[in-house]
Amino acid sequence: MKKKLLSVLLAGCMVLSLAACGSGDSGSAPQDTSGTQTTQQDAAAPDTAKESDGAGDAAADPTNGEVVDGKFVETRKITVEVYDRGNDDGSDPTNNNYTKYIKEQMLAQHNVEVEFVAVPRWTEVEQINNLLAAGDAPDICLTYDYPTVQTYANMGGVLDLSSYVDDYRDMLPNLWNWLGETNIYWDKDPVNGTLWAIEGKRAVTNRINTFVRKDWLDKLGLKEPTTRQEFEDMIIAFRDNADLLLGADADKMIPYSVSFDVGWRAALLIESFIDPDVSDYEYYVNGFDDRALTQNGTKEAIRLLNKWYNDGLLWDDFALYGSGDSTEDDMIKAGYVGAFMHNWDYPYRDGENSIQTNLQRMVGPDAKFVVVDCFEDIKGGHNKFITSSAGDRKIFFPTTNTEPLASMMYLDFISSPEVIQYLQIGEEGVTHNKLEDGTIEIQAATGDDIQNSGFNIDYTITCNGLHLMDDELTLKSMAYSYSGIDPELVEVAHKVCNTDTRPAKNVNVGAIAAEEGQGPTLSSKRDVVYDTAVSAAVEDFDKVWDAGIADYLSSGGQAIMDERAEKWKATFGDTTALPE
Amino acid sequence: MKKEGKKAPVAQKKQSFGVYMKRYWQLYVLLALPMLYLLIFKYVPMIYIQIAFKKYSIVQSVWEMPLAANHGFEYFIKAFKNRDFINALRNTLVLNLLDLVIGFPAPIIFALILNELVFKRFKRVVQTIAYMPHFLSWVIIYGLALQIFAPSTGFLNMILTGLGFESIPFLNDSAHWVGTYIFLGVWQSFGWNSIVYLAAIAGINSELYEAASVDGAGRFKKMWHITLPGIKPTIVVLLVMNLGNILGSSFDRPFALQNNLVMDAAEVLATFVYKNGIKGLQFSLTTAVGFFQSIVCVIFLLLANWISRKLGERGIW
Repeated sequence: MKKKLLSVLLAGCMVLSLAACGSGDSGSAPQDTSGTQTTQQDAAAPDTAKESDGAGDAAADPTNGEVVDGKFVETRKITVEVYDRGNDDGSDPTNNNYTKYIKEQMLAQHNVEVEFVAVPRWTEVEQINNLLAAGDAPDICLTYDYPTVQTYANMGGVLDLSSYVDDYRDMLPNLWNWLGETNIYWDKDPVNGTLWAIEGKRAVTNRINTFVRKDWLDKLGLKEPTTRQEFEDMIIAFRDNADLLLGADADKMIPYSVSFDVGWRAALLIESFIDPDVSDYEYYVNGFDDRALTQNGTKEAIRLLNKWYNDGLLWDDFALYGSGDSTEDDMIKAGYVGAFMHNWDYPYRDGENSIQTNLQRMVGPDAKFVVVDCFEDIKGGHNKFITSSAGDRKIFFPTTNTEPLASMMYLDFISSPEVIQYLQIGEEGVTHNKLEDGTIEIQAATGDDIQNSGFNIDYTITCNGLHLMDDELTLKSMAYSYSGIDPELVEVAHKVCNTDTRPAKNVNVGAIAAEEGQGPTLSSKRDVVYDTAVSAAVEDFDKVWDAGIADYLSSGGQAIMDERAEKWKATFGDTTALPE
Repeated sequence: MKKEGKKAPVAQKKQSFGVYMKRYWQLYVLLALPMLYLLIFKYVPMIYIQIAFKKYSIVQSVWEMPLAANHGFEYFIKAFKNRDFINALRNTLVLNLLDLVIGFPAPIIFALILNELVFKRFKRVVQTIAYMPHFLSWVIIYGLALQIFAPSTGFLNMILTGLGFESIPFLNDSAHWVGTYIFLGVWQSFGWNSIVYLAAIAGINSELYEAASVDGAGRFKKMWHITLPGIKPTIVVLLVMNLGNILGSSFDRPFALQNNLVMDAAEVLATFVYKNGIKGLQFSLTTAVGFFQSIVCVIFLLLANWISRKLGERGIW
């Protein structure tokens, strides 16, 4: 009886499963193919448009009457990615007063409905991967990670924008004015002319600064450090005077704080060890890692950090807290940290929640971080590697985008000076005040007027950083844009990170196949090399570093370098400098 | 009944099936929903296992993707040439074996001890406390671990350094980290896992204990000769299932606990797949890894089951 029941049961299961399997299959398969068919058609559309355009009258409307006076005849609908920063007191990134403004304006100006899709800022690459793989990606995607775009392009998942930016150039005046050829063509393949992404523009190319506790310097009678040696002496003095500076909390003292991301949080120190005369060729070939891991000189910088770590000058637990963890920021806010490096304006950002404001609340009104400029290179000068206006956020359209023209018009709209200005400073009296000389002073907003990102850079996707219609006003206003922060501090920070700079150059030798899919793996390896080397015993440093680098190189790092060298030679020949 | 069935002609058998279904159809209706769940979420996605043998593309359906090089085995070859994969494989094996050796007996011992407790209320309190960690997510457990074990700010290390000892690198040295990992795993799960054993113990005929007492058996004798043999089938089934998972690994436990300083010991297959697949977009490679993992698990499961049956136990089927 038992056996019989079991066999009937099993048979039943099988019948059921077969039936459902069959229906599941037949249900999903046609869906898939139809999906590909439409995307293929879409992908083909711009080409045919181009051909007919070229064959017929050159002045003919490239949209075939779909667009009249910049407006679509029929309402179109697009989706746009927006970062969700998960701020404690933020507004809904997909529905607030700024998104309302964008939606209304887009509908009025172009007859395009806009819907925002929130993607968590700190896991954006993973999220976009998932959305793309599922075919649910927004029509307009953005990412800081070009290799992701390249990988998807290789799979046929990204639209080639080259024909759109050229054929519709006359319809996209704001986009062309704002980004120019530099940013629009930055990623154009030199061989086959494909363009997978447009580079958003940094309005401000400020990168990174070193911050120290001015009140501690004053207490100890020290001057602001101007050399690496003085910086070292300063953090040693912090360590040795912990009792005086922190009293009962002396054991919590961290003279100089880095996080697990050593390559970023010690970037100025690391880059000061790179030869300022390094050739474009060498810098490019060794430059896949954006934290300078394989540049010549980096090892000696990390050796110094390793010494500091073993001398008790760094945070013991730096490697244990991952990305997005607020433990370190909390310690800085609580006043335990003497010095750190970060984004050029890091402690001043975020209004009421800024590090500086919190520090003063918890420690006292005298407590403050000031910017110092103290890492000289081997020639005694300063050589700060800064970014170019491109190389920041990349905008791309997945092949599931059925409204590429409407999407391009969105990019044009979001690049117009008026729109950028409105989104960045909002309404007068609500998000900003005007000072007597016209300077804009940002004030903390509430409710749906809260900007989740500074100057709403998450909405102004082609523009990162403050950009008002008047350049002079922009500079003045920038200093006043940090609510609760002395504008003078911001001016100093802006000045320091803009002296003795070396802007990044665009080395475009086509796609490097060895880089495909390697970005995240090699980045996490890079962090492992940095973290283990910094925290090794002094006598083990060489061993740990060399083993780490060997592992990094054999896991794909070397292949990338070789291919970069080879493609450089193929494009530029034997010269080691980029043509001007 | 059995004899009747054997003798019955075919026509009658069919009729009895109809009768049977008429009587029990409600049970099958009840079964339908879980079966549907399994189908939709476990079987249908398996169609995509193919991408382990194919060149993956996001825009093609899985049937259209071209076969990978080397008769489709390119990604398996690639995986076994990848040092990170070999490391992850080794770490997965080591951590799972340690988990098995230390983590498997823990709930059995706990259940045995608990069973010997006389005060019912105390027993219940202990049991509840032991269950609790099971309901914590690994992210929270790592948060707790940092508070206790971190080298400079951890509670335990602060006590140690306060007493003049060196601080112990529980989380930032590979060997110590493995210990912490196993300890936290046992701590999190032993209470919960003991439930099965306690239930099995409750099912043992109490007359056996009385008879043993009459024969003069003490506590340990009774534990050894009655309780343990009584729960032996349960132990074997769970052991077989555990062995079947020797190469499988949960994702959240290693992912939450690992950090850059111990990656050489902490990278396991699940986190390798996450890093290279979800983050690195190498979907074919990581599907191949996952497929390999499943095959090994199935082999282990069959092998363990076969051995247990050879040894005279019932196995799991």
